[in-house]
Formats: sequence, structure tokens, C-alpha cells
Amino acid sequence: MDDFFIIVIVFLLLNIALGLVRLLRGPTVADRLLSTQLFGTAGMAILMVLAGYMEDLTLLNVVITFNVLSILLVICLVQVWKKKKGDTP
Amino acid sequence: MSVVIDILMAILLIYLALRCMLAPELSKTIFTFFAFGLTLALAWIRLEAVDVAIAEAAIASGFMGVLLLDSLRDFSYALSKNPKNLELPENFTIKESNKSLLLPRLALGIGFVIFLLISMEATWKTPEGGGLTAVSEELLPQSGVEHPVTAVLLNFRAYDTWLEIGVILMGLLAIFAAGGVKNYRKPSMTAVDPLLRQVILFFIPVLFLFGAFLLYFGKTGPGGAFQAAVLWGSIGILFHLGGWPIFAMIPRKLRQFLLTMGLGSFLILGFLLMAAGGAMFEYPPAYAGILILIAETLAAISIAVALTAIYVYLTK
Amino acid sequence: MSGSGLEKKERRYPMMIIEAITVILLVVGCFFFLAGTLGLLRFPDLFTRLHALTNADNLGLGFIAAGMALHFGSPWTAIKIFLIWLLTLLSSATSSYLIARFRREENNPKNGKEG
Repeated sequence: MDDFFIIVIVFLLLNIALGLVRLLRGPTVADRLLSTQLFGTAGMAILMVLAGYMEDLTLLNVVITFNVLSILLVICLVQVWKKKKGDTP
Repeated sequence: MSVVIDILMAILLIYLALRCMLAPELSKTIFTFFAFGLTLALAWIRLEAVDVAIAEAAIASGFMGVLLLDSLRDFSYALSKNPKNLELPENFTIKESNKSLLLPRLALGIGFVIFLLISMEATWKTPEGGGLTAVSEELLPQSGVEHPVTAVLLNFRAYDTWLEIGVILMGLLAIFAAGGVKNYRKPSMTAVDPLLRQVILFFIPVLFLFGAFLLYFGKTGPGGAFQAAVLWGSIGILFHLGGWPIFAMIPRKLRQFLLTMGLGSFLILGFLLMAAGGAMFEYPPAYAGILILIAETLAAISIAVALTAIYVYLTK
Repeated sequence: MSGSGLEKKERRYPMMIIEAITVILLVVGCFFFLAGTLGLLRFPDLFTRLHALTNADNLGLGFIAAGMALHFGSPWTAIKIFLIWLLTLLSSATSSYLIARFRREENNPKNGKEG
């Protein structure tokens, strides 16, 4: 079972590495933010599987931390960048 | 088998760090930095430092993310307004002969080799006797808490923690002193999306509850004042992003009181303990738990207000 | 001897089933993560990429969370993981909406100013 967990974690890490392509290529800030969101979700999944692998339930608290703060970036982007295009001629 | 995870994480970390440093655009740098922070949190978990992982997750993806996104917006705004602002002056040249670069390169190479050797030596040889782990484990029953990290931070080395709160306050003072960096007006946030408001109103109690949980859970497991403070500070940031300027609503005196409360409570506690005949921060074991919890709560509120203030003043 | 061995086998039988279900759920979750990442890479514009992202957010994390909840086996942990998943559902749905709206207003700012 532990070996299977390791395979899942490695797969998800490779997933993150693959998603980096969009982060580096993404034409606008919103695209890059999307890949960061994907990284956050994949990181949460990795942490859950790691909690099973390392048999440490306190890791779920780290998952919740990621979870509740992941929307902060989106709200910040939407509110702060709101009228950037409208302001500049 | 778990070596595979560690090696993959290490490669990813170094690659992300290099990409972050060498990226040609600011936005690339910033978003690579977010990915770097996430991978770093995972790496801390693999090192079994869950406390640091929570702090890293909260600060890198929450607080720093907001600050960096805001400054990214300012840079792109300034660049689009008059692009010459941030370009190098025309008579500025970096061209130099190759010979003068030889020495720095040599120094860099030697430094890199020394760094590699030192890090290899450090990882190869684990310290004998396990450092101070045994001592702190032995004194744990007297500290009033059950988690060794919290015991070290709030009891054995409380002096350091107290000064760290002071460092945050000093940073805030520097921001106050240099205030008004921006010379254009921020777009008014009158038309806030109703859905956005509802989400903010939903997430604020969740953040508060989870922060309080982390604060109290710090007694028995990973968590504590700093992690809770970042979560509570993001409440203030969310209020501001939603168009409620809550920091400005608090009266000035109360604001100052809240900001200095964490530092002050530690100071008063230390001097009271000294007056009672002990050393500074030498808690009597019977009351250590409750004293630590009170000091931690006050410090968490104070840091949370300070973080909100940093956000508000940097984006004013 | 043989009787106790049989008993042991019978007792372990449901554990085997639970492990098998965990493996299946985790594999399905990984598949959705891969689908999300590939979609993020291959889809042509932001709105389609949003679809790929929510795929990974909702289904990928959901399946992995279900698998891990089964693996831990304690009801309180299961409730905690379920709450984590619910929060993710909420935040991912809202952030998709916010990003999509942000992009639309960015493209035609007049429309955004009126609304």
C-alpha cells in the first residue's frame, strides 16, 4: 500500500511539473493564476496522500490552510487588477 | 522508495528557484515563486516540520501572494503609463571586457564548490547525541504544553519569539515612515460583485475559526500564534478587498493599542515573572499553560492587525 | 492451525476490499488530475482552461479525498476530509466564476463599467 502511495505522490508531482509549462507560457496573468490554482489543488491531494503514507493526521491541517487561503489570490487578482485595462488608454 | 519523492521534490525546488531568479518577466517570476512556495511547503512536510509547513503555506500562498500581486499590478501600470520610467537610461552600458569578468566568475565558481562541499559534509555527518532534542523532551512536562516546538518557542526560547514580534512591528514602522509610495489613485471599489461579497462573508468566519483552532491546537500539535495570526490577518485583507475598509474604521488609539499589544503583553509578563523572583520568561510550571495561551492569543491578534496594516499601507 | 489461518484470512478479507477500493479511487483521482493538467496545457483560451481546472479541482481532489477517507477509516477524519472537499468545491466554483468575469470585463471594459 505504501508503495502505491509513493507512486501516486510521484505522479502528482510530475503533474505539477507538467503544469509548469502553462505557468511559464501563459499569455496573461489570469492563465498563470489558473496554473497556480491547479498546483494548490495538486498540492492538497499530495498532502492527503502523504498523510496516509506518513501516518500523520496533522497534515490535514496544512491541507485546510492551503484550502482556505487559495481563494485569497483569486479575490486579490479580481479586485486589484479590476480596471487596469479601463484606466489606460 | 520514498527517496524517489525526495529527489523529485529537490529537483523541482532547485529548478523552480532557478526559473524564479532567471525569468525575464516579472509576472513569470512571481507566479514561479508561488509554485516554489508550494513545493517548499511539501518539502518541509517531508522533513517532518509541520509547523513550518503551515506557516509557509499561509504566508507564501496567502499573504505574500497578495502583496506580490498588488505590486505586480503597480509595475505593469507604471510601465503601461510611461514605459521609460523603468527602463535603463540610454547612456547606461553593461558592456565590459571579458577579462574583468574572469575574476568574479572564478570567485563564483570557488564559492559554489565550497558551498557544495560544506553542504555535503553537513548532510553526510549527523550530529551526535541528537542536538537539544533530548533536553527539550525531558523538560516538556514543566513547560505547560505538550508539543515540543511550541514549548521551545513560547517557553524555553520565549525571548526570541518576543523579539520576533518586535521585528514585525519594526517592519511596520518602516512602512509607516515610507508611506505614500504610490503617486496615483487606486481604482475605487464601489461596484463589488455580490457573489464576491457573499464568498468573502462566508470565508471570514471559516478563517477565524480555523485560526482559533490552530492557536489552541498549538498546545498539542503543530500550529500556534504565527500561523493563526496569518489566517486572522487575511481576514482583514479580505475585508479590505471586499470594499470594507475595516482598518480605517478602528479608532487610531485602539489601532495603536492593538498593534503594540503583543509586544507589550510579553514584556509585562516577563517583568511580572521577574518581580515574582524568577528569570525573565521563567513561567511557574503550574500556570505555564494558561500564561502561554494568553500571551499567544494577544500576540496573534497583534500580529494579525500588523499584517493587515502592512497590506493597507502598502496598497494605499 | 489451519482453522486460525482461515479465520485470519476471513478477517482480512474486508480490509482487502477496502484497500482495493482505495486504490481504484486514487487511480481515478490521478486520471482526473492528468486530464486537468493536459486540458490546461492544450486548450486554446482561458474559458476552456477553466473547465479543465475545475475538472481537476472537483473530481480529482474528490476521488483522492474519498480514497484517503476510506484508508484512514475513522469517521471523524472522514468528516474532516469531506469538509475540505466541500470548501474546495465552493472556492473553485467561485474562483472560476470570478476569473471568467474578470476576463470578460477586461476584454470589453465598457460593458463591465455599466454592470
